[in-house]
Amino acid sequence: MLLFLQSLINGILLGGIYASYSAGFSLIFGVMGVINIFHGEMVMLGAFLTYWLFTLFHVDPFLTLPLSFFSLFVFGYLVQRFVIQRVVEAPPMISYILTFGIHLMIAYSALWVWTADFRTVTTGYSGWNANMSGVIIPYARLATFCLALIVVAGLYFFLNKTEVGRAIQATAQDKEMARLMGVNITRIFALTFGIGAAVTGVAGSLISTYFIIFPQMGLPYTIIAFCVVVLGGMGYIPGALWGGLILGVVQSFTAAYLNAGLSGALTFILLFIVLILRPAGIAGKGIVE
Amino acid sequence: MFKQWIPTSLLLITLCLLLMPLAGFSDYLIRLLAIIFLWVGKASCWNILSGMTGHIDFGAVGYYGIGSYTTALLMSKADVPFFFAILVSGLVSSLIALPIGLPTLRLKGAYFGIATLAFAEAMKQIVLEFDKTAGVRFFEGPHGITLPIGPRNEFFYYVGFGVMVVVMATAYGVRRSKLGYALRAIREAEQAAELAGVDTLRAKVKAYMISAFFLGLIGGIETYWLTYITPHMVFDVLITIQMVVMSLLGGMGTVFGPVMGASFLTILYEVLHRDFPYTYTILVGFIIVVVVLLMPKGIVGTLRKR
Amino acid sequence: MKESKVDTPILEGRSLTKYFGVLAAVHGVTFSVGKGEVLGMIGPNGAGKSTLFNILMGVYAPDEGEVVFRGRTISGLSPHKICRMGMAKTSQIVQPFKEMTALENVMVGGLHGKNLSLRDATQEAEKILEFVGLGAMKKAVSASITIPDRRRLELARALATGAEVILLDENMAGLNPTEVENGLRLLTEVRNQGKTLVVVEHIMRAVMEISDRILVLNYGEKIAEGTPDEIAHHQKVIEAYLGEKYASDR
Repeated sequence: MLLFLQSLINGILLGGIYASYSAGFSLIFGVMGVINIFHGEMVMLGAFLTYWLFTLFHVDPFLTLPLSFFSLFVFGYLVQRFVIQRVVEAPPMISYILTFGIHLMIAYSALWVWTADFRTVTTGYSGWNANMSGVIIPYARLATFCLALIVVAGLYFFLNKTEVGRAIQATAQDKEMARLMGVNITRIFALTFGIGAAVTGVAGSLISTYFIIFPQMGLPYTIIAFCVVVLGGMGYIPGALWGGLILGVVQSFTAAYLNAGLSGALTFILLFIVLILRPAGIAGKGIVE
Repeated sequence: MFKQWIPTSLLLITLCLLLMPLAGFSDYLIRLLAIIFLWVGKASCWNILSGMTGHIDFGAVGYYGIGSYTTALLMSKADVPFFFAILVSGLVSSLIALPIGLPTLRLKGAYFGIATLAFAEAMKQIVLEFDKTAGVRFFEGPHGITLPIGPRNEFFYYVGFGVMVVVMATAYGVRRSKLGYALRAIREAEQAAELAGVDTLRAKVKAYMISAFFLGLIGGIETYWLTYITPHMVFDVLITIQMVVMSLLGGMGTVFGPVMGASFLTILYEVLHRDFPYTYTILVGFIIVVVVLLMPKGIVGTLRKR
Repeated sequence: MKESKVDTPILEGRSLTKYFGVLAAVHGVTFSVGKGEVLGMIGPNGAGKSTLFNILMGVYAPDEGEVVFRGRTISGLSPHKICRMGMAKTSQIVQPFKEMTALENVMVGGLHGKNLSLRDATQEAEKILEFVGLGAMKKAVSASITIPDRRRLELARALATGAEVILLDENMAGLNPTEVENGLRLLTEVRNQGKTLVVVEHIMRAVMEISDRILVLNYGEKIAEGTPDEIAHHQKVIEAYLGEKYASDR
């Protein structure tokens, strides 16, 4: 019973982590139809930013979050504005290939500059857990889980209650109409990408406090983001939560009851099956080409 | 006017290539050319499906890896002779391509790309976990398999050359056949092709299985040459990426396009990888970005220009 | 409404209904076409004509109702199967295989719609191209062919599949009067070869001239059926196109 509960908690926390860095992926696809293969690199960049600030300047990871948000926002905005913007009108396959190229460039440049060493951010409080009658809940992961909720809620609020957010939604639903109503589509796209990047970077920063980080860590994260978002529905932000939770719990139980390594294989098999059987996601609210 | 010289020049080039190892060229050059031959083969395989139909497959390495492991197992555990082993590898890959292809080839555009990528990564994970799950004990260390030391580079030079010719001939044959018409129609206007009587799913699956067969075969060949493989080596997504870029550069859907692309990238790799190990990959990424951005209609533009 | 029942129809639609979301694009449409007939189909934009064609060709499966072709229920079959059974369609927005030559375009129909060998398909394609008047362009890459000629190419491709019933979705849209004349002449020749045609057009004159009977759709439903003459004076049809006021003034 304890194993069950622990696995469940682990799964939920893991799911929250997954959701936190997948929401941005969903947003970007939902608004501009871009499948961003270097999404994982933004997690990696956020993580490394925090790592270097911590290692070189002893800045507490949680204090690096604003800087991470801002830096990744700028990065995302610029890359979208000057590179990806050119292919937003083309079929999603094109952005898939383009962002794959960018993924290679970023990941391997990082590998070159920072070497392949594994690194972690270990603060004084890294090992702190809450212990609820035998079930261990690490604070760091709990923090990320809360972040996930904040991110999804924040994005939801931003998209529905602010003027810019509504402009983004309008653009997502009907680009031509939005353009006719005076929305600067190019700027909206760049903004959206920036926000998606920023949110993902912050998730990366937090992740550095309990996962091992290394320059090639990006692609697996990207693939998990795919999985989460396909499960939850592409372009449907709250779906990132559901998708993340489902995936997290499935992986957790697989690792606990079957085999740790198998959970990796299971992710892909699950993704594969969902793509074939229910491309619009569990709730059916996703965008299917 | 030039066209009539093509068969003759091809024959001459073929003759030269066949004689090169005997003419005392350096082992390094022989090895380099063999690598190029095999890459032309791989890129051509990828081209048979993706180049001709426009459905970009990102999981091609999955079949390469399946072929690699099949040959490795057959040769190291069952003493199966090389040529038989690679044929079986091709068949196994091809057979697996059927149940994978049927559902995925119905998907559109990027979803097909994601699904195939997921397939290749899943294969890697499955092989990584195979021994624990199935309780078998034939992997050593990081799930690697060692094969007996094989013949010298000349052997692989000729085998590579042979395979390259076969794959290219197959690509050529497919292109001019009924299937070729179907595939090209699918690339141009899939729905119109359906309406004109083309069984689009079947045509795509056929091309997919042919491609998988040769990828598995080549995987087997390279395994014997490498003599040691691990899942990370033979299910590496970078192998797929290089196939994609070689075809992109050389011209998708053409028969000789991969030759250009493969030669260029292989030489680039040779030049860079010793001193600048990561620069090659960064450059590949850069090439992709440039190719996509410079084509007015992205990859489709390259497809159109052929 | 007059229901003209055909004795042994080659193609029938029975209560065909198709929803997109909550909107019924096509609702309860029943019709039949006799062998060798030319059935015209008209209606304002958005009346459901293209959707109906797509249902007939298997691009969509109907939510309700059936499509019966040569006595066999074909609703829900895939388009290529329906094509091989003998029905073909030209699209409103022409879709030539752009990188392929005109000849190759037509050959696809023969190779896969009619299952011919390469040699037979080539010969047939050449003949058909001559028939539609594109013989001179057989080696031209279809991307370089003008829109009016592309429409003929679509028709040629449909003919190459060996289809007995051809659905023409606004095959003459955007053509000038001379081109329309030529188009009509071509259709008449096709008809004279024994083909059955269902023609959707907005050019009233063309439809009236060539159709034996006309079907009128509006908001996804059939509102009238009859000879061209009957339709021209039908109150509901006039209402649909010109508005109630004009109709009641007559």
